[in-house]
Amino acid sequence: MKTKLVLNFNPEASNLPITHNLTAKYGLLVNILRAEIDEVGGKMVIEVSGKADSIKTGISYLKEAGVGVRPIKEGVRRDDEACTHCGVCISICPTKALILDSKTHKVIFKEEKCVACGVCIDACPPRAMEILI
Amino acid sequence: MKKNKRPSGPKTFTDISTRARDGDAVVMTAMEFKEFVKTNGVKKAAKEVDIVTTGTFGAMCSSGAYFNFGHSDPPIKMQRAWLDGIPAYGGLAAVDVYLGATELDDSNNMMHGGAHVIEDLVRGRAVRLKATAHATDCYPLKEIDTYVSLKTINQAVLMNVRNCYQNYAAASNTSGRTMYTYMGKLLPELGNATYCSSGELSPLLNDPLYRTIGIGSRIFLGGGEGFVIWEGTQFNTGVERTPNGVPKRPAGSLAVLGDLKQMTPEFVKGLTFTRYGATLGLGIGVPIPILDEDMAKACAVTDKDISTAIFDYAQQTRARPVLAEVTYAQLGSGEVDIKGRRVPTSPLSSIYKARKIAELLKKSVAKGDFVLTEPVQRLPLDRSFKPLDTRSEKEAMK
Repeated sequence: MKTKLVLNFNPEASNLPITHNLTAKYGLLVNILRAEIDEVGGKMVIEVSGKADSIKTGISYLKEAGVGVRPIKEGVRRDDEACTHCGVCISICPTKALILDSKTHKVIFKEEKCVACGVCIDACPPRAMEILI
Repeated sequence: MKKNKRPSGPKTFTDISTRARDGDAVVMTAMEFKEFVKTNGVKKAAKEVDIVTTGTFGAMCSSGAYFNFGHSDPPIKMQRAWLDGIPAYGGLAAVDVYLGATELDDSNNMMHGGAHVIEDLVRGRAVRLKATAHATDCYPLKEIDTYVSLKTINQAVLMNVRNCYQNYAAASNTSGRTMYTYMGKLLPELGNATYCSSGELSPLLNDPLYRTIGIGSRIFLGGGEGFVIWEGTQFNTGVERTPNGVPKRPAGSLAVLGDLKQMTPEFVKGLTFTRYGATLGLGIGVPIPILDEDMAKACAVTDKDISTAIFDYAQQTRARPVLAEVTYAQLGSGEVDIKGRRVPTSPLSSIYKARKIAELLKKSVAKGDFVLTEPVQRLPLDRSFKPLDTRSEKEAMK
């Protein structure tokens, strides 16, 4: 099982080795997608893979440690009305979550492939891409 | 296929436009026509097809609109004017101003420039107009602060001095940092390449020697109708061409004009290129009459026959080095080879919208709603593109 989580850190929690613990203690594979943490706390977006039970206990550990945990289904949203389907985004998306459909010539956004890296946000001329985290 | 009697040899512009007006013309989109030629050959295509509709949608920087607001009471002769905070040029008489698409407000906020104000107006929104003036006896008012919309404005006319480039450069970046350009976000170390033409669908690439597109041509402009009013600025005929006349570098361009009140937000879009600025995304389509076999051959051009150069935008000079020569078919494949590396590509031009424009235009030409006009004057065949150098008064006179 795989899930994406937004973690909110207060100053105390920001010093905890949470990714190490999730891996070592709960056997979860942690992929850090975004991280902005300093002495006053911050946010991290991770994708965790592992057994459903382990993810559940991992999340409980995080909450007990004072880390805010919010699961996300989507990290980046596209405004379909604003998108002109120009395709500027397709060559810069590192996970090929944005691709051109060769039949319709429209840009397809495969949300399940998006890792919310945000590289498309400021590249989009009609500003159709929005990062939610 | 229509069954009306068709001439066997070359057709005149008048033959074709009359037939179109009567709803009897055989009209194909550029996409359909290329397929038709592949199957049936140029001869048959020239005989059986009357009109091919082309289209393009992309960032067209040298765009803008002029407005006449009507007179206030007491009247004002606007010297400085702002529409939603974006400066508009007021050095015209009284209440006429020109708003450039790339104009920004005093804080250089690139998220909302002249192009965005133009889009807001097209969307039917009200826009805040502020203007100041030195008072005169005939125009005593010194300042005004009000709202205008396309309902209150007398003339709202999109007038663009350079659109619809015939071919364009492609871009990549060999430097170690991300570059933010009018060609989009260029990732470091040849991380990507961008290009900006609808290629085989683009109007001037289907009429490479400007036989049918000229001054006075009626065109699809931003969802409404407009006209070609002049050669576009930077028009350059001095570039290498293929045996079919297709330029291998940016060559011709069009100056166009049309009523903003007819346009739609689907084809008039304010765009932001990060750290470059604002610009206008605009849709243009031109119907091309198939006068003879040469014209059919020209409109049969495909992305494999159109090439351009990928320039290195890491070099901040006028003459950027060429990294690779590529065709639009290669660019459109999603990857090109630059110095032995596979580099992912991105178009800046929406092929989806270009095709939609060609289809919409086909429908209205076939119904006789969109009337083709023969140019009153051809575009030039002998224009060079001169550089701007720092020079003395004497040198400038040479």
